[in-house]
Amino acid sequence: MTMNSGQHTISFILDDEIVTIDFKQEKLSPTLTILNYLRSLPNHKGAKEGCAEGDCGACTVVVADLDEENKLVYRAINSCLVFLPILHGKQLITVENLAKKNGRDIDLHPVQQALVDMNGSQCGYCTPGIVMSMFALYKSSMNPSSEVIKDAMTGNLCRCTGYQPILNATELACSKNEPDQFSKNQNDIISKLKEIKSQKLTVQIITKTQKYFLPQTLADALALRKKFPKTIMVNGSTDIALKQTKKFERLKEIIDLSVIRELKCFSENKKEIILGSGLSLEAIKTKVSEKLPALGNMLSVFASKQIRNVATLGGNLGTASPIGDTIPLLIAYDSKIRLVKETSFREIPIEEFIKGHRETDLRNNELIHSVIIPLHQEHVVRFYKVSKRRDLDISTVSAGFRLEIINGTVSDICLAFGGMADRPKRAVLTEASLFQKVWNAENIEMAANILENEFSPISDARSGSGFRKMAAKNLLLKFYHETL
Amino acid sequence: MISHESIIKHVTGESVYINDLNFGESLLHGYVVYSKIAHGLIRSIKLEKAKSMTGVKAILSYREIPGVNQMGPVVHDEPCLAEKEVHFIGQAILLIAAESLDIAHEAAKSVQIEYEPLEVINNLEDAIKKNNRLHPPRKIECGNISSAFEAARNILEGTLFTGSQEHWYLETQTSLAVPGEGNEIILYSSTQHPSETQAIVAEVLGIPRKDVEVEVRRMGGAFGGKETQANHYAAWSALLAKATGRPVKIHLNRDDDQICTGKRHPFHSNYKAGFDKAGKITALDIELNSDAGSSTDLTMAILERAMFHVDNAYFIPNLRVIGNTWKTNHPSNTAFRGFGGPQGMAVIENIIDRIGRFLKKDALEIRKLNFYKSESENTTHFGQKVENNRLDLLFEQLVKSSDYHKRREQINRFNQFNPFVKKGLAMTPVKFGISFTTSFLNQAGALVNIYQDGTVQVNHGGTEMGQGLHTKILSIAASELGIDPEYIKVNATSTSKVPNTSATAASSGSDLNGMAVKYAIEKLKSRLIPIAVKLLDEENPNTKLVFINNQVYNPIQSDTKIKFIELVQKAYLSQISLSATGFYKTPDIFYDKAAAKGRPFHYFAFGMAVSEVLVDSLTGYVKVLRSDILHDVGNSLNEKIDRGQIEGGFIQGLGWMTTEDLKYDDKGNLLNHSPDTYKIPTIQDIPDDFRVEILKNAPNSNTIMQSKAVGEPPFMLALSVWLAIKDAISAVGDHKFEPAFSLPATNEVIISSIEKINELNKKSFHGLHQSEDHY
Repeated sequence: MTMNSGQHTISFILDDEIVTIDFKQEKLSPTLTILNYLRSLPNHKGAKEGCAEGDCGACTVVVADLDEENKLVYRAINSCLVFLPILHGKQLITVENLAKKNGRDIDLHPVQQALVDMNGSQCGYCTPGIVMSMFALYKSSMNPSSEVIKDAMTGNLCRCTGYQPILNATELACSKNEPDQFSKNQNDIISKLKEIKSQKLTVQIITKTQKYFLPQTLADALALRKKFPKTIMVNGSTDIALKQTKKFERLKEIIDLSVIRELKCFSENKKEIILGSGLSLEAIKTKVSEKLPALGNMLSVFASKQIRNVATLGGNLGTASPIGDTIPLLIAYDSKIRLVKETSFREIPIEEFIKGHRETDLRNNELIHSVIIPLHQEHVVRFYKVSKRRDLDISTVSAGFRLEIINGTVSDICLAFGGMADRPKRAVLTEASLFQKVWNAENIEMAANILENEFSPISDARSGSGFRKMAAKNLLLKFYHETL
Repeated sequence: MISHESIIKHVTGESVYINDLNFGESLLHGYVVYSKIAHGLIRSIKLEKAKSMTGVKAILSYREIPGVNQMGPVVHDEPCLAEKEVHFIGQAILLIAAESLDIAHEAAKSVQIEYEPLEVINNLEDAIKKNNRLHPPRKIECGNISSAFEAARNILEGTLFTGSQEHWYLETQTSLAVPGEGNEIILYSSTQHPSETQAIVAEVLGIPRKDVEVEVRRMGGAFGGKETQANHYAAWSALLAKATGRPVKIHLNRDDDQICTGKRHPFHSNYKAGFDKAGKITALDIELNSDAGSSTDLTMAILERAMFHVDNAYFIPNLRVIGNTWKTNHPSNTAFRGFGGPQGMAVIENIIDRIGRFLKKDALEIRKLNFYKSESENTTHFGQKVENNRLDLLFEQLVKSSDYHKRREQINRFNQFNPFVKKGLAMTPVKFGISFTTSFLNQAGALVNIYQDGTVQVNHGGTEMGQGLHTKILSIAASELGIDPEYIKVNATSTSKVPNTSATAASSGSDLNGMAVKYAIEKLKSRLIPIAVKLLDEENPNTKLVFINNQVYNPIQSDTKIKFIELVQKAYLSQISLSATGFYKTPDIFYDKAAAKGRPFHYFAFGMAVSEVLVDSLTGYVKVLRSDILHDVGNSLNEKIDRGQIEGGFIQGLGWMTTEDLKYDDKGNLLNHSPDTYKIPTIQDIPDDFRVEILKNAPNSNTIMQSKAVGEPPFMLALSVWLAIKDAISAVGDHKFEPAFSLPATNEVIISSIEKINELNKKSFHGLHQSEDHY
């Protein structure tokens, strides 16, 4: 790839029309969030900023994208956390697009009508976001269970209604699932998107203060990585965007990996499952819940659907949060991480990849390619989480545990914790105390006492140090009781 | 029954909030530079760099305030901008107006402020220890507690801590000020109290109120958080607009909103209760300690309401409640749904729960035994008779419909066989006094205009924050005028249409404004009827006519009717005024503060709830399995709207009592300043089975269409969840030990309480001395 062959603009569909944006000419920042872009337009003020961090969902919009079979897939996202270039080759749908107006009459979309019928809106500020989450579900699910509905709506906070009428309205709307205007119009949209996507050039937006690259292939991405080693890499940008939306920092150089197909790889055989770093957490949840139930359970209480729709496994590993719910569990799974550079790749255990507080072993010419999870039938792997609120709440303490018992004694054990140290860590002393011991209450009690002193966690906004120790101990007890 | 008047606009995204208003290029963005330390002296401020930035249009300090540097709503103890001393993190020091928010942020970052730190009082305990009182204590007393305690067979004492709560309205504080000619200024403000916002803006600008107009179309939620606190943003945007001559908007980001604004008052409450062997309470002594934050705001009225509600639904013949207010270096705490009621009720409900455990009886029985009765035992500690008491009625119906007794048995069985997950069950009642306890505030005005095309505009003093006030007003107007709601518009609230209004607060919005609108319409009808009588060829000028279905007629001779629009046109031609004001004040209420006796409430609203929870004793997770609510709204003005208030209030209460937890570091920094760490309920946290019923056939007397207020009372029904959690914790020790408990019951509180019970269990297992009442 050569730098000159890139294109400088992005194109997407809004209000059924192709919109092309030339950031330099229009004096726009390439890290302009979708929300701020929409709110700068005269007729798209429906989406609201409620928190600017993806915790409230008032900014929810829907992005329609072509899947591998060239069918449209509708996903709800937090527009406050996602940069405009991610829309390249996609359709952006906002609350303003749902109702049809015929003169003075308004023809509401079924999800809107259901909210009206069930009285699912009071102050109205969260409502545009609620409507869009409902709409994404409407387009992707037939007669969803109340569990599925709650999962789709967890990322939308409402302070007025107490949610019951929203739940009822979603049930009502999705029980019918009649074709809507979007179904009628989809062929037109598909051909427009194909047209945009036929350009396979790296999008490169270079303004006075910022560089933003959206490479289309892994090779292009690696070349850029080599050329700009200090660049920030994003995929869903749900974590990096906070620097801008919360700390008002300007991000200078960005490589956006969100369209690279190689990084969205998925394969499974009897021995292992390979998850591409660019797979969204929601995609992983759908693909692995059966084979890797602990990972499925973890992802079902990980953030919200809007976040999981764009956030990736690579992003979660790359940020190396000391809590990072995926990491303790991937350690428990004995997983490896595959890192690529232009000429070669290497594989190292996840544990070695995390080197310190938000520090990884990723070299500045490498990208995270994938994670390899071995499949062992004889192991029990579990995930546990303690948080103030069960859903959409970063763990106070999280744990990934692995256990193998042969002839009544522990032949393999891994107790990995998040939230207990500067990085996700195994409780090695506790593990040692249980190794080759009988898996019984007495030994567990002894191990729990060791565990209590093995870490010195911090006290912070989420909880006190003492509570973290107590919680870690309780999780071990819970694991014991569930594996008896 | 009509739907929420704005719901179509809400679901299509058309509803306009202040941040959606488009003023084009002329609009400036305001930003508030606030104190980063909790207490100290301002040594120096360097703002040369900020001033020289392109796009910065004004930087103001207290020196540039043309009027009074004050914005305390009741007591003048809150400077508009800090002068020499700062009293909390988040206190405004400077105001910046710039061409964009990015520039304003850059400018704010470049301002350097040097402080000399002073001692920080960081919590209630600290304030009490250092005797940092806000105002002298208050007391309400009835009977004779000392002799009652002497005679009491059993006495329980303890302390209850109830925590703070962030309002978490979805729309953060917002105000947009537009300067006009001369002194004139218009404010688009997200305020529950436009008249007070007008007054404060006038004061800081040093201009008369006639030149300040405040308009409120709607708020994106408020819950008390915009009763006084919205004044600040209005005043600041007004100062910047006056200084620059351009429209200025201040719209807080979430973190600044959580850091800078006041919250629900935390309370530290000490109690002592005397009761007989059946569980009847004979003596109660309560000391409420309220954390006011840095200034008075509404603290005294909130304390008063807490003191009025420490009895909740129970007749206690000998009762003394003392209320203390303490100053801390936090933002001034403020109104929040329930307004002290929840803090007061939590104390008595926890006491009753303890009595039940102490006597080894279901707390349900203790509650029933102590309820106010109808004929006797019906007077509160402040001397008001509890009239139209519906406690027994609600109790009988709810015990039955919730299948309480059977479920209690099932839960006992479940707990026997499940060592690590426990179920809990609790019923709690609510009796909530309706009226502002500052009696003169119970007044409202309205202005109704009929236009020649037969359409009607209704203006009233109440504000719409989602609660459905405008919808109720619309129904009242439609029913009084006998015309379809589509011919009526309820206008944005404006100080120019209806002056000198009270806050839309104390659940009183529809009670007060609904009556004022009704009176205005009655005036208009009294002018229209003589014309109609003539048009209908009625001989008797006093014939009673009805206004129904867009028509007016004599119900006895209903074959001749005239259309409302024709009547209006005829009236215009007859030179009759088609515009009228209405005014209402609540009758028969008074309160003697010195004697602490009176009839402060127009009536009481009643409700009851039964909740069942599942608690994981190892992780502290709580799942609300089922909640049954039966609530009294009188004759509902609109069941959809009322149900929305009941469900929404309950879930907000659930948040206060379970996951909403605010922590400060030792320097006074709020640690939970965004939803990342401040956890309000999500859709996953609502009861799996949520059964809400409105009490049928329960008209109220002497209120608008025989209805009752509904905004706040349901909030406190969530105490049933809180005590169900305690019941589940108690089950860990087979109900032998009183669990250590506080509010909110976070997983941290639950786990440590269980840990303590496990220790006591171990001790008693090893034959050591045990106390049944260790806490």
